[in-house]
Amino acid sequence: MAGYAFWRLVQAAIAVFGVMTIVFVIMRLAGDPTLLLVPEGATREHIEALRHELGFDRPIAVQYVAYLADVLRLDFGQSVVQRLPATAILASRLPYTLELALGASAIALLVGIPAGVAMAVWRGGALERLLATFVVTGQSMPTFLSGILLILVFGVLLGWLPTSGSGGLSSLVLPSIALGALSMATFARMARIAVVDELSKDYVRAARARGLSQGAVVVRHVLRNAAVPVVTIAALEFGNLLAGAVIVETVFAWPGIGQLAIQSIQSRDFVVVQVVVLFVSVIYVAMSLLADLAYAWLDPRIRLHG
Amino acid sequence: MSDVLLAVENLTVDIGGTAVVDGVSFAMRRGEVLALVGESGCGKSLTAMALLRLLPPAARLAAGRVVLEGQDLAALPERAMRRLRGEALSIIFQEPTASLDPLATVGSQIVEAYRVHRGVTRAEARRAARDMLDAVGIPDAERRLEQYPFELSGGMCQRIMIAIALVCGPSLLVADEPTTALDVTIQAQILDLMRKLVAERGASILIITHDMGVVADIADRVAVMYAGRVVEVAPVAELFASPRHPYTALLLASVPRLDATPKAQLATIEGRVPSPDEFGVGCRFAGRCPLAVQRCHEAPPALADIGRDHAAACWRSADVARLMEPAS
Repeated sequence: MAGYAFWRLVQAAIAVFGVMTIVFVIMRLAGDPTLLLVPEGATREHIEALRHELGFDRPIAVQYVAYLADVLRLDFGQSVVQRLPATAILASRLPYTLELALGASAIALLVGIPAGVAMAVWRGGALERLLATFVVTGQSMPTFLSGILLILVFGVLLGWLPTSGSGGLSSLVLPSIALGALSMATFARMARIAVVDELSKDYVRAARARGLSQGAVVVRHVLRNAAVPVVTIAALEFGNLLAGAVIVETVFAWPGIGQLAIQSIQSRDFVVVQVVVLFVSVIYVAMSLLADLAYAWLDPRIRLHG
Repeated sequence: MSDVLLAVENLTVDIGGTAVVDGVSFAMRRGEVLALVGESGCGKSLTAMALLRLLPPAARLAAGRVVLEGQDLAALPERAMRRLRGEALSIIFQEPTASLDPLATVGSQIVEAYRVHRGVTRAEARRAARDMLDAVGIPDAERRLEQYPFELSGGMCQRIMIAIALVCGPSLLVADEPTTALDVTIQAQILDLMRKLVAERGASILIITHDMGVVADIADRVAVMYAGRVVEVAPVAELFASPRHPYTALLLASVPRLDATPKAQLATIEGRVPSPDEFGVGCRFAGRCPLAVQRCHEAPPALADIGRDHAAACWRSADVARLMEPAS
């Protein structure tokens, strides 16, 4: 188990390093931010001076090594636009994204898993068809469309919930639904597949032969066995929700890191872009590591002998 | 007739409109070991599952009665049937390891089987589970109860399954190919164990198998199935000595024998088992039977008594002895 964990950590580090490198290169390819920073009508000397001050006149390889050295010292640089430490900017937005990711996860798990289990247990019936329609809708509707529809119906027409911004629990509801819908569909499908798969196994028949009702077999045996694949997905999905809220945060004017990423890209504030992407990739890799550990914890065959 | 434990009458199981178990009837006495023998796909396992009313979703109990201790199981509501499973009749399966929940300790699964019927405290059920492990010959019971199925061998898991099946003291144990997945040495141990436990408890065993060795080892009587029907029923010694259905005779002739001439060709049965859509109106073995005459293809022979405790479903049962003569 320890050897396995060590290799998973090495893999994780390589993944994060790869992401850092790609983002660094792509941001440099996108153009020189100096021109965006200088006031209109600045002289050539003025521009060159600023470029030198920010270090953009050095070769890209030198800039890259300097960047890696800084990251290793946990110095993630200063925003070239706001002149603030990039980590401070990130930290100021993080609580909003966390809040939204938790809201979306709650909706995804609390709706998706019961829906998936119900679809498996009553498969072939009217309930399954009804739930399947619901799940496919959640899965296939693009976020920018579902977000705008939710705003139109619940914000504008019915006036029940705020249309945008962050202010209390009521403003969290619509963006959580918009963001959680896809994960909800994923959980429902995964849970359904896992439960159907388990229901066909010999131990289910054997448990019924002991005198247990179908419901008792599902609750006592099937759910736990089916949870193994679902938990793995859950951790990955949470990583997704933290990282993938760019569109929802834009549609709902939610001041999280997704919106920060868009704003930073538009102003070519690549120090901030780098720190956002680095953060998101670390979260994502950490979640997949967590998924593996949860898998091991749930399954005694891995827990005891892995 | 008070010594009749189980009477299966005209049991018919239907898959997609075809009777894959077709009018099966047999009876079992208390304390008896009855073997239900046949090739794969002859309907013997479906018959077993029909007794417990645990047929797969595609199959349907279309007709028949399953009278266990005077109660027709086929007519019971599901709730009442559930109370009998594990209590009055139990089953063990071919794949012992797959039949245990991989994520639950074996102890918890025995405890569950006991508590669902007895409603006792966990501690009492645990005591019963420990006693059961002792009874099925698993040493170091305390530690074993905490183990998971993957930590035990196949033979060990089958002992656990037997413990689960017998913990509530059922009067009938159905054993569906209980030793097929096990090593031959373990196989003999499991059969011995089943026989001993069932004798101690005065219960009966219905053992489903395709293995004549298992039949000879454990059974008192044998019911032979072919293509969804029972074709012969007889005490084991009599069946082996003088089968009265050509299928039984050919099946026995195809078992390798230690006393046969070295290098003698092993007998085979020509052709293959008909699939349900190929069943004709007559005897289902007629197409492969060396004794078949016109009548065999036209009308199905009923299972008829042809001697004391011996029945066969064959128009030519009187001529079957001919098939048993060694080929020259």
